[in-house]
Amino acid sequence: MTAPLVDFAAFSAASQLAIAVFIGLAFGFALERAGLGDARKLAGQFYVTDFTVLKVMFSAIVTAMLGAYWLARLGVLDLARVFVPETYVLPQLAGGALFGIGFVLAGLCPGTSCVAAATGRGDGALTVVGMFAGVLATGLAFAPLRAFYASTARGSLTLPQLLDLPYGVVVCAIVAIALAVFRIVERWERRAA
Amino acid sequence: MNRTLAIAALVLGALAAIGGSPYRAQHANVDAARLARAIAHEDDHVTALELAEWIRDRKPRLRIIDLRSEREFATYHLPRAERVPIEAIPSTPFARDETLVLISDGGAHAAQAWVLLQSLGYRDVYFLRGGLGEWLDDVMSPAKPSDLTRYFGGVPRATGDEAAYGGGTSAAVKAMRRRGC
Repeated sequence: MTAPLVDFAAFSAASQLAIAVFIGLAFGFALERAGLGDARKLAGQFYVTDFTVLKVMFSAIVTAMLGAYWLARLGVLDLARVFVPETYVLPQLAGGALFGIGFVLAGLCPGTSCVAAATGRGDGALTVVGMFAGVLATGLAFAPLRAFYASTARGSLTLPQLLDLPYGVVVCAIVAIALAVFRIVERWERRAA
Repeated sequence: MNRTLAIAALVLGALAAIGGSPYRAQHANVDAARLARAIAHEDDHVTALELAEWIRDRKPRLRIIDLRSEREFATYHLPRAERVPIEAIPSTPFARDETLVLISDGGAHAAQAWVLLQSLGYRDVYFLRGGLGEWLDDVMSPAKPSDLTRYFGGVPRATGDEAAYGGGTSAAVKAMRRRGC
């Protein structure tokens, strides 16, 4: 778990794991209820016939973003302590493309493949096995990849830094974009149906 | 799209645009009078002997922040000390319930870092007044040996400087001391 709660409330390692299990189960349950354990539904995103993935992911981003902003603004969360993954431009572009190919081939992403496997879907279980085989293969073949892996490093970048805009303005803009996109895709879906 | 949720998101988003920065560090605010009182009451620093007792007694949530260079840190540092360069102090996230003790060579950088951390809202911060030299003189090789000297493996000055600080790299460490012999 990332910095703030652990540092401030000082959970023990065991209770951190217990909380992680609880959050993981809740996340899996939410994904299943959103219908994201179904490969057809996920593949529908790539064929622009079903926008469930976009809507679920974008609403999650907006919810988390508003929560993080307001909790930090009200002094509950110390945003400076929240881990921001580092940006590596080329490796992440290449990894994203590879991820997308795997996503559309399997119809599942890492989290949803676990959900699909847990609901007894064979394709989900095989995707989980394939994913771990891929992780292992990448780890074993890491030496020649190391230079590329560390190239074009940009450090921990956030949108407000990148755009040189106040944090709250970026939050507001992303909410507006999300709502506009939801409106457009729902109109699109209705027309397609 | 759920209309109520969409409106709630829109309102929270619009308020965020005029809500200001969520980062605490940017709200750095110095209450100069309070800092002056802390300095006058000598609540801003610890002596080397006080710090030695804190370390020995395993004071909970104690963090010893060494501001010196990597080379100086490698030559000698206090037990449990961690190195944080002074330019990294504003961006280093410390927990609010930690007791921070700042150490520099002579004490000036540590005192300046004390002001920085106070301005960022950390209250439980102290600096070692006489810097590392005070530690070496008063704890590691005092004129009169104490339990603390023995605890930290130091040697009283009377028995000869060569053996001080557990022998080893004593020449390099000796150069850091305030009082030469």
